Amino acid sequence: MVLLVVGLAIGVATAVALMAITEAMQADVAVKMDEYGANILVVPKANDLALSYGGITVGSAAYDVATLSMPDVERIGTIKNAANISVVAPKLLGAVPLMGRPVLLAGVRFADELRLKRWWRVEQGMEPSEAADALAGARLAQSLAIQPGDEVEVNGRRFRVVGVLAENGSQDDDILFVDLSAAQLALDKPDAVSLVEVAALCTACPVEEMVEQISHVLPQARVTALRQAVTLRMETVGQLGRFAVAVSAVVIAIGALVVLTTMLGAVAERRQEIGLFRALGFRQRHVGRIILTEAALVSAAGGALGYLAGMGAAVTLAPRVANVTARVPWDPVLAAAAVGCALVVGVLASLYPAAQAARVDPTVALRSS
Amino acid sequence: MIELHNVSKVYNSGGAPVVALRNVNLTIAEGEFVALMGPSGSGKSTLLTIIGGMNSPTAGRVIVDGIDVYSLSPERQADFRYEYVGFVFQQLQLLPYLTALENVLLALAIAPTPRTEKIARAYEILAQVGLKGKEHRLPSQLSGGEQGRVAVARALVNRAPILLADEPTGNLDRATGMQVLELLRDLNGAGQTVVMVTHDPQAAACARRVVHILDGQIVGDTVPAPEHALAPAVLPISQPAIEPCSNATERVQ
Ligand SMILES: Nc1ncnc2c1ncn2[C@@H]1O[C@H](COP(=O)(O)OP(=O)(O)O)[C@@H](O)[C@H]1O
Ligand SMILES: [Mg+2]
Repeated sequence: MVLLVVGLAIGVATAVALMAITEAMQADVAVKMDEYGANILVVPKANDLALSYGGITVGSAAYDVATLSMPDVERIGTIKNAANISVVAPKLLGAVPLMGRPVLLAGVRFADELRLKRWWRVEQGMEPSEAADALAGARLAQSLAIQPGDEVEVNGRRFRVVGVLAENGSQDDDILFVDLSAAQLALDKPDAVSLVEVAALCTACPVEEMVEQISHVLPQARVTALRQAVTLRMETVGQLGRFAVAVSAVVIAIGALVVLTTMLGAVAERRQEIGLFRALGFRQRHVGRIILTEAALVSAAGGALGYLAGMGAAVTLAPRVANVTARVPWDPVLAAAAVGCALVVGVLASLYPAAQAARVDPTVALRSS
Repeated sequence: MIELHNVSKVYNSGGAPVVALRNVNLTIAEGEFVALMGPSGSGKSTLLTIIGGMNSPTAGRVIVDGIDVYSLSPERQADFRYEYVGFVFQQLQLLPYLTALENVLLALAIAPTPRTEKIARAYEILAQVGLKGKEHRLPSQLSGGEQGRVAVARALVNRAPILLADEPTGNLDRATGMQVLELLRDLNGAGQTVVMVTHDPQAAACARRVVHILDGQIVGDTVPAPEHALAPAVLPISQPAIEPCSNATERVQ
């Protein structure tokens, strides 16, 4: 019986630890998702030479070719998994002369852009709030000696640089960011959009599926899933989840086997006692119920013990082996599932031993042990 | 109240079939004390378990109190054992981890009686077999004779009309064996039907009727001695009025 409790506890502990770590990793990824920015990129289909923006293909060689429009951007919000989209950040890019030098101008929706790029820090000045406000990349500000509060003129339109971004080593350092609508006017491309960055928050569904959905509503666009660290991690978590389920299934099968053999052994060992019960007038049903009750109690104990041990393992192991910063959640559903599963497995695996016990002949009580 | 009609039993468990009983016909009336005697392997235990509703005969019928025992379903046979039979095993079969009281209560475990009543009855029956004050001892803390009494108490506690005992003195020395025999005789004196297996003639002398078995057949059936037949039906159990087992000089003091 001790073996049974320990065996079940080990099985349940393994399953619980794996599940809890997976759960923690999913929570972790969901948090990091926000910090890592976009994981889907929407650009116009173009056959020209590709130009890149921060390692991301922007479109054709000429910045002027923009075949996406604002209604296209709205359409992204209509896909089936729209609920999993956290940010849609459209951009219009264009080369403009600024203080006599060619500069890359990016029209963005600041609210969305700031949510997408959590790593952005406005080092000097403040975040833009007005339509004519602009943010300057660190190197751009340095080379053109732009200070927060300065006014700049782009294609005859005036912008007020309200803040300078901290240098982050990306192409953003060289860009002048202005409001999307203002950029459309300045570049004389009303309604045009060069690319859309999308942050999808979906730990359960594959990003590929959302990519396909967006491609479906925007047939003229090329939609790519960005293989960022977080996407990979998400896939790893997904794989770990499936691995956890598979291992749990194996462990449960082994647990069932342990219960089966232990209970069969216990029944064989107690044949004489069971025979006595039968001779005393216990029905087969009574004997079966005694065995199953015992199995249920022992299994529930094993399940509870296993849950505690598994959670203990998860709490200590998750930060070390899985590099999870999120706390391992004490999930009452997992607790109930662990005890319930142990109970069901224990009782089911004891059905045959219980039947064996019920079949014990009362006359075995007569035999000398 | 117990009738065996043409009862035969053949064991088939592995190897050649063993004929344990052949065409046994036997009638035992209510209140009788019958000793089944015969050499080892003659079929005594088989006969006893067949009477007790726990061993299906290969042929023949067993009627107890008008019930054709082996026509009942297995579960109803269990009920029959509970309602009609108390069994004292040769190995006693007390559970070593239970106290005397708990061992007795085991026989009431499936009864619908309230627990307090069961406990009261167990105490009462233990007092009746002379174990007052020893209810909470484990079997290992009791003498052989006392263990035998616990086994008898367990067989009696469900107030079954038939008490079956398979060599109840087999594992006891003569003196303690005699205590158990006296207990059975006292119970019989109070009206309890007792069927006891023994191969000891002196033990058999305690019974009022001796049935001899040889090779699975009844070969002798001694009629009750007249003085025993005249014994009063109801007596206070703890103070036996009948001289123990036909010979007063062998009485163990
Ligand atoms: N369960 C059994 N399986 C096979 N043979 C048995 C079984 N029980 C008893 N026997 C055989 O039946 C015969 C009668 O046994 P039993 O009734 O125990 O005799 P007794 O009690 O008089 O010694 C013996 O030959 C014994 O070996
Ligand atoms: Mg025998």
